[in-house]
Amino acid sequence: MGQFVQFAINGLMSGAIYALIAVGIVSVFKATKVVNFAHGYLIMFGAYFYYTFAVIIPGQEWAPAWLASWEPAWLMESREGLPMFSPMGAVLDWAQNLPRILFGIAGALVANAIVGRIIERTLMRPLMGQSVFAMIMITVGLISIMSGAASIIWTADADFVPHIAPNAPIRFEMFGTTIFLFGADLVNMLIALFIFAGIVLMVRYTKSGVAIRATAEDQSTAYSMGISVPKVFSRAWVLASTTGAIAGAILATRNGISPSLGLFGFSVLAIVLMGGLDSYIGVFLAALAVGVMEAMTQWQLGGDWAEIVPYVAVLVVLLIRPHGLFGSKEVERI
Amino acid sequence: MKLNRRSFLATSAAATAVMGTPMILRAQPSEYVLGASLPLTGPFATAGQLVAPAFQLAAKLFNDEGGVAGTPIRFVTEDSGYIPQNALANYQRALATEGTAMIAYFADSTGAMKLIAPELKGENARIMGSTSFASELADPSTHPYQYMSGPSYQSQFDILLENIAAQGGTSVAFIYSNTEFGRDPIEHGKATAERLGIEVVLEEATKPQGADIPTHVTKLAQSGAEHCILQGYVTGVWPQLIGGARQFGLPTRFYGTFWGMEKIIADRITQEAGPFLEGYEGVMPYRYFWDREDAPRYQKYAELSKEMFAGTPMENYMSTWAIQTMCGLEIAMKAIRDTAEAGQELTADNIAETLSGISDWDTGGFFGGPVTMENNSIKTGRVYAYDTETGLFNPRSDWLSV
Repeated sequence: MGQFVQFAINGLMSGAIYALIAVGIVSVFKATKVVNFAHGYLIMFGAYFYYTFAVIIPGQEWAPAWLASWEPAWLMESREGLPMFSPMGAVLDWAQNLPRILFGIAGALVANAIVGRIIERTLMRPLMGQSVFAMIMITVGLISIMSGAASIIWTADADFVPHIAPNAPIRFEMFGTTIFLFGADLVNMLIALFIFAGIVLMVRYTKSGVAIRATAEDQSTAYSMGISVPKVFSRAWVLASTTGAIAGAILATRNGISPSLGLFGFSVLAIVLMGGLDSYIGVFLAALAVGVMEAMTQWQLGGDWAEIVPYVAVLVVLLIRPHGLFGSKEVERI
Repeated sequence: MKLNRRSFLATSAAATAVMGTPMILRAQPSEYVLGASLPLTGPFATAGQLVAPAFQLAAKLFNDEGGVAGTPIRFVTEDSGYIPQNALANYQRALATEGTAMIAYFADSTGAMKLIAPELKGENARIMGSTSFASELADPSTHPYQYMSGPSYQSQFDILLENIAAQGGTSVAFIYSNTEFGRDPIEHGKATAERLGIEVVLEEATKPQGADIPTHVTKLAQSGAEHCILQGYVTGVWPQLIGGARQFGLPTRFYGTFWGMEKIIADRITQEAGPFLEGYEGVMPYRYFWDREDAPRYQKYAELSKEMFAGTPMENYMSTWAIQTMCGLEIAMKAIRDTAEAGQELTADNIAETLSGISDWDTGGFFGGPVTMENNSIKTGRVYAYDTETGLFNPRSDWLSV
């Protein structure tokens, strides 16, 4: 039982990251009916921006020394002699990196929001009123543009970034088994949960959220009711870009920086379809379910099955519920 | 002259001979071409972009040495994006454009080698090296024109397992990416481990990117493996696995094969995440670039690199990936030059025959001593360990041949 709990928690932590990636796809779809195939590359840009602000800029000669490594006397004294992976050692290592981590997150959020805004204003808004298919094809074209641009700006070099949270090992007993967790993964999961909860509450209870829901329901009616649909579009893209920046930063801490980060978006598309393209709750549950299924399959059947079984489950769900677990069924009246 | 059947045939034969002579003369091109596909974009672009300058260096070096019997050589390199179909298209385009002037090709993956292999027939055949150490390619009966510039992954596993056995190791885990690259030596490794009396306590396949590290580390901890060999990764997953295991408090010793042995990656991990790679070991077919004292060929590369790549990372250090490419090109050039010196036409068959017969060749320091091509591969290597203080991989074993 203890082992079951261990793998279930591992799966939930992976699932939370999937959910954070997926939230951007749902946001854009909900407001614009466009499935953004380039979302993975928006995340990749977020990861590269985090790398730029947390690693490249602090490493420059002109950057203040405290930005690269904050080393007050008390911190250095406390750190001295502590083993690398001791809980306190990990926390103090993180504290030393805190200025550049915060600078990295802030930079990634702002820069990715600007990128999202540019995409929306220059590529999406001119197509408003045209076929949604044309807008979707634009996002497919964006994949090439963004991957090419990233290669030019950052080259294809692989590199590594600091963890957003202290990566202290956490151990506790459950059902007679020692459960082990990575501190950073736990915090990443909490970040994903907070962002999700925030977005769901925003969509339910704020004016902007109501505008998104109204636009999703019917653009023309939303227009006639005085809602600025272009603003809703813009907000959806900025929301996707900023959540993508956080997802990108987290992915970069787990996998390092490389152009292959863009590919994560594709694997999450299946999860979004399973949950329902326009349902935050559905996608969240689907992401957690796929994460847990992957971990359980890895545990019992091995890695060759781990990539297949969850997606077979996605297919089964789609056969039974073509609009996903919580997706709205579209009724077309002729 | 009276035209009868006999005189008509004689005249026709003479005319054919006269017209055919220029065709034979044209077979000697003004320059020879060596084509290549590189992953300049895509998931392995990091490696591709570090390897690309090696072709400039090779062109300068080989032409300064007189090319092939006085005829200069030229490299034609194209991006494949690490997609085998693109590499095949590049090969076909190079064949169509360069024709018989193209005498060798360099591919960038096992997939590309396998996809191009059936094309290597008759006039379309060329000798072909690559970045791959896939065991399947080390078989001249099925891949007569393809070769590898070192030991296959199976041979690399043999070297590591023999080293583990020599240290008294009794249990090992294999963690590998669920790709062709990752799976290649696993079955063979199990057989070797059994022969050496080492128990394989875990076989764990992972995603090649974005693997679920906590889950894999948990399984490694459950297995109780003393040693763990990682296979099928380049820049990611393997460092995170080792870091995770260290955080978990596992005493497992980790080993890698060629693609997990690059100093640039190990240094960056150490700089960003701390010295947890201390003692990480692995098999390398070649000397590292800083070990130049007994390697005159490396000294030559260093001299040229200073001149050609001033102000770039290549000025002082050549990555293991670029060294592998240089070794592959050196093997091809040796076979081509030896074939030309023997007065034979530079056909794929002749060059391949010369290549498979390379014996006791002094490579100028790539390997520990003279090497011989066996099944179109070179079955030698050495175990190195990473030192986080110096940032160097230091030898842990002598040169081992399997």
